[in-house]
Amino acid sequence: MALLDRSDWYDIARDTNWSPGFVSRDDMFPAELSDPYGIPEAEWETFDEPYKVSYREYVKVQREKDSSAYSVKAALSRSKFHDEADEGWAAVLKLHYGAVALTEYQASQFQARMVRFGPSPSMRNMATYGMLDELRHAQLQLFFPHELLPRDRQYDWAHEAAHTKNWAILGGRHAMDDIMMCRDAVTGAVMVSFAFETGLTNLQMVGLSTDAANMGDFTFANLITSIQSDEARHAQLGSPAIEIMIKNGKKKEAQLAVDVAFWRMWRLFAITVGIPMDYYIPLEQRHMSFKEFMHEWIIRQYDRQVRDLGLETPWYWDLLKDDIENHHHCQQGGIWSWRPTVWWNPPGAVGPREREWLEEKYPGWNDSFGTYWDVITDNLLNDREEKTHPECIPIICNMCQIPISNRPGPAWKARVLQLEHDGRRYNFCTEPCRWIFTTDPERYKHHESIVDRMYSGEIDPPTLDNVLTYMGIGVVSEGGRDGHDYSWVDGFRNQAAE
Amino acid sequence: MSAFPILSRFQFDCHVKVVEAEPAQDMDALAAACAYHSIGLHVADQPGKILRIRPTTDGDDAEPWPRNMTVGEAGLKHYECIDIYFTDPGAA
Repeated sequence: MALLDRSDWYDIARDTNWSPGFVSRDDMFPAELSDPYGIPEAEWETFDEPYKVSYREYVKVQREKDSSAYSVKAALSRSKFHDEADEGWAAVLKLHYGAVALTEYQASQFQARMVRFGPSPSMRNMATYGMLDELRHAQLQLFFPHELLPRDRQYDWAHEAAHTKNWAILGGRHAMDDIMMCRDAVTGAVMVSFAFETGLTNLQMVGLSTDAANMGDFTFANLITSIQSDEARHAQLGSPAIEIMIKNGKKKEAQLAVDVAFWRMWRLFAITVGIPMDYYIPLEQRHMSFKEFMHEWIIRQYDRQVRDLGLETPWYWDLLKDDIENHHHCQQGGIWSWRPTVWWNPPGAVGPREREWLEEKYPGWNDSFGTYWDVITDNLLNDREEKTHPECIPIICNMCQIPISNRPGPAWKARVLQLEHDGRRYNFCTEPCRWIFTTDPERYKHHESIVDRMYSGEIDPPTLDNVLTYMGIGVVSEGGRDGHDYSWVDGFRNQAAE
Repeated sequence: MSAFPILSRFQFDCHVKVVEAEPAQDMDALAAACAYHSIGLHVADQPGKILRIRPTTDGDDAEPWPRNMTVGEAGLKHYECIDIYFTDPGAA
């Protein structure tokens, strides 16, 4: 039987809507779950996503993608790649799977909210595919690391991380709950589909896939490419929502949603992407610095997309540019120093050659971050490994839940920004994190950081062992150690011998 | 009043650290407690220099508290942010 061309039926099928007779539209689409901005139904019916797909096409393509991902994995499962891979790359995989796998499942739930409560029939139609996409991503990224479990228990964090109270997971969960799990369909579309997926992850996956291929991990490269191709499609739910909001006098609200979400996700993105690119991936396999990636792929394109839609460049753009040269370097130091608190083995990776590369990519690195690593290197060269383990904790930002840090050395930029609210003192890492809190204090004020929990009695007594157990360390797997067993110090030892 | 957390912004360090302060502790003792978590871990020692403590301000220019003033006398509270910084002996 001949099939009609898609163009003959697509619009009418996609836009089919109905007028409820037994309940009111407001009951069917409550504002707090659907559209809190009061935009008329007729306006939402103009929603026009740029990427068209029918269910028949979707199933065919997705089946092919899944076949490819699973068959490449099966074909390479007997290779010795993971036996011989650098532990820095293993750190990338463990960090990625732990942070991402079940977040994808949450994303599926968020897409399901748009499927049910999206105010436009075409939005609901597209979100149906997005929901299935995210479910596939969760399944893939739970299944792929599972076969690595017999080799290394730390891969179990793919399944377990989201169920723990590890400090890094608290950071991810706080942000994802904020922009994704506890938002209405429209705001969520703007925050997740536009600010997060269009702005950051879609392009990041292109880079991550390249890194994986450079490392020879073709299973992971293929997996990420498979996921990215879905992301490129469903990320397009955000732009039409922003256009409709602006057209209906809600530019300020759209801008707020975009600016809050982009900063929130940036703070996590720099850790999950910046540190791997500039530290975990061995020098020979690095294809560009994180800073180069950010400027080439994110800064220019995102700013242009924001302005093309009729929004403004975020007010914190200059702060973001500075953070690109700073934040992930600080957190590399922090994560390495407090390595027993994470579920991967972070390499220090600041030997003489790496430092030369860092100085070239980030002029001034040696004068600032170098002073921090000089002390650590000196301890390792002089058999004072115990002095590389702090006995205290860093203060944590009450918004991003990340240690409050900034450039060390003569620049000495570390600074806590505080705010008193309802008799409680809150600590923030940056102006944008503090600003986000002030946009809606009722939303954020009850959350306690891991440090707050140590002093509120939730972790009692707050001994090192208790804190680690609370965070899932020693429960899911052992915590981290230097990924290269300090071999990166050998270059300095050799220099001293010469 | 028992020990409570203050935020140690130690000169040249990358991180602001949580250190427990005792109300009866004087500023020199508090500086030493903060130094224990920074010097030799993330900050190089500066032998011969004296550590002083001042309130954290935007301009890094507050007057230091007297070295023998206690934490209680200075009125430090839960999560108070303080600067610990190196000074020449003559200036101290």
